[in-house]
Amino acid sequence: MSSTETIPAGSHGSPAGTLRLWLALIVATLLTWQLGEGGGSLPLTVAVLGIALLKGAAVALDFMALRHAPPLWRNLLLGWLLFVCALIGLAYWKGIA
Amino acid sequence: MSHHTLTLSATPSRRLAGDLAIWCFIGAELVAFAAFFGAYAFTRASHVAEFNLAQQGLNRDAGAVNTLLLLTASAFVVRAVQGALAGRARADAVWLLAAIVCGIGFLGVKGVEYAAAFDQGISLSSSTFHMFYLSLTFFHFMHVILGLIILVVLWAGMRAGRYGPQDMNGLESGAAYWHMVDLVWLILFPLVYVIH
Amino acid sequence: MQYQSQAVAKPYFIAAIALFTGQILFGLIMGMQYVVGDFLFPEIPFNVARMVHTNLLIVWLLFGFMGAAYYMVPEESETELYSPKLAIALFWIFLLAGAATVLGYLFVPYATLAELTGNDLLATMGREFLEQPLPTKLGIVVVALAFLFNITMTVLKGRKTAISTVLLIGLWGLAIFFLFSFYNPHNLVKDKYYWWWVVHLWVEGVWELILGALLAFVLIKVTGVDREVIEKWLYVIITLTLVTGIIGTGHHYYWIGAPEYWQWWGSIFSALEPIPFFAMTVFAFNMVNRRRREHPNKAAVLWALGTGVMAFLGAGVWGFLHTLAPVNYYTHGSQITAAHGHMAFYGAYVMVVLTLISYAMPIIRGRAANSNKAQVLEMWSFWLMTIAMVFITLFLTAAGILQVWLQRVAEVPMSFMATQDQVALFYWMREWAGVMFLIGLIVYIVSFFVNGDDKATAR
Repeated sequence: MSSTETIPAGSHGSPAGTLRLWLALIVATLLTWQLGEGGGSLPLTVAVLGIALLKGAAVALDFMALRHAPPLWRNLLLGWLLFVCALIGLAYWKGIA
Repeated sequence: MSHHTLTLSATPSRRLAGDLAIWCFIGAELVAFAAFFGAYAFTRASHVAEFNLAQQGLNRDAGAVNTLLLLTASAFVVRAVQGALAGRARADAVWLLAAIVCGIGFLGVKGVEYAAAFDQGISLSSSTFHMFYLSLTFFHFMHVILGLIILVVLWAGMRAGRYGPQDMNGLESGAAYWHMVDLVWLILFPLVYVIH
Repeated sequence: MQYQSQAVAKPYFIAAIALFTGQILFGLIMGMQYVVGDFLFPEIPFNVARMVHTNLLIVWLLFGFMGAAYYMVPEESETELYSPKLAIALFWIFLLAGAATVLGYLFVPYATLAELTGNDLLATMGREFLEQPLPTKLGIVVVALAFLFNITMTVLKGRKTAISTVLLIGLWGLAIFFLFSFYNPHNLVKDKYYWWWVVHLWVEGVWELILGALLAFVLIKVTGVDREVIEKWLYVIITLTLVTGIIGTGHHYYWIGAPEYWQWWGSIFSALEPIPFFAMTVFAFNMVNRRRREHPNKAAVLWALGTGVMAFLGAGVWGFLHTLAPVNYYTHGSQITAAHGHMAFYGAYVMVVLTLISYAMPIIRGRAANSNKAQVLEMWSFWLMTIAMVFITLFLTAAGILQVWLQRVAEVPMSFMATQDQVALFYWMREWAGVMFLIGLIVYIVSFFVNGDDKATAR
């Protein structure tokens, strides 16, 4: 089914932008990997979850083009990320209590 | 018959990239995974020592490499979509091929991990942690396979020149599904492999 | 009617309603036996009444599905049915086989029935819902395959729509999973494991596809909403169904001796099973809100909306209440189960068949909708039956909660029979609700015979 709307050229970003984002995601992953090597603690877990949240948001907003989508879907996905990370954080905190 | 021009706007108008049906499907999948993640996290909270110990047996390096592979595959998928949008579907189909290669790499790394685990006698019944580890990653594994099948179909379509600025629906839908598979792993890796 | 061959649906619908009535009569007998233990003993012992009640339910729903398919498929495919004669022949075969089976249950001791019908050749009898003698089961397979052949050939020679595709997948799935009723492992764990491949994968699997297709068909007709919109919803609903329901089968594997991980898988996935039902409800109301026409068949619209709501409540909500393993540990096999089972079957499958019949029967009989008088009666029957079912469910839920408390949770648990004495009041109330249900059903049947001066013009 072909669409008859004009899809704006910038909808999915530019090659240069994608490369920059990819590099940031790789660095974030390496950071998480590194953090994982140490002993566990609440601050560390919060940091790891925070990084995951940011990475997820980048994939959602830019890779999935939700930045330019109707607020409903953008909020649903970002909300999902937030909810899941918060849930995991809460469970972790419960575990050390 | 309407004639379409590419408008270079600073802020593109609001649109959902991909079919509404696929986004509903993505939503359903995310809910299912969230339930699974929550179950793992709270079960761990009641078995902290056991989970910490068993987690040490995981190959975190493999998990990290897999994260890199999926992120790279996603970036390749985005490049492919950019190419189609710019009218270069046939030429840029190779980006999807690159993504598929990364995806197959993921399956390979995971396969090696599983082989090692099974060699050590790990199974769904060997411990609660192992039940979760195997179930969660296998469930995700199956979704990677489905995602790869979709990418192959999209690649064939791009090579046939099927997608373009007037016909992005199928490509964007398939791409969105792939990114979901990546997104899920971005939570799964820290949750199961890292947090302790 | 757009196609003459759609008329073969009529005998199927009539048989469906007749068997439905039989089902309810035997339900009332059992409801009485719950509180007056030797009611109709030894002529109709409880276990025989139960077999008749449950088997009639399934058979009449199958008549309903087949009638629905015969009505829908020619219209969807835009071509006459492949073989109306085959459809009529199968009708009589299925009806006579069904009648013979029920008579067998009633008049022949079960063990003798087994001996007489070759159960020693291949043992398939003796399991809940699958009590049919071997010849009956084989007959069902033959009838189902011939029916599927007829319907599939029709679709193949005509237009293929999302609705007919989903319907076909559901119906083929129904037939394929029924084959597991022939597999009767000696190991009790495996026996139970595969039994659910018929039952769960029917009602929480392929039957939901049939439900979605029937509902979508009626909604397109009565609301006039774009087919594309409705078909998209249909795909979303069946995807949600399969994603949640397949591994959700695990919620039947908690205590049968299967590995412990099923308690996790079953809980997590089955907890999500209400979602497709919720989507169906939203879908139905949304389509009716966005309707482009005022269809004269108000009763059909009411049934369609009611199906969404009751299916969500009965299958979704009541199912969720006892689906998590830690809860199910206490409620398993209690009246909570019965409460859920009744509202779920009624809300999802009884109501969708009645929705289809409500829409199609007038058209088969030559008019777009029944007279106002007839529709009002039909709508009365809707409310009587639905509210009665709500009360049946509430009373059984109350009985179940009390039963679980007294028999399993209490410091000093009571025995089964002592507990049954304590919940007897709820059984009496359930029986009265059952009588109300029967009244609703009688009103429903009467509504078919009410004429009025203001019949809508024939289509």
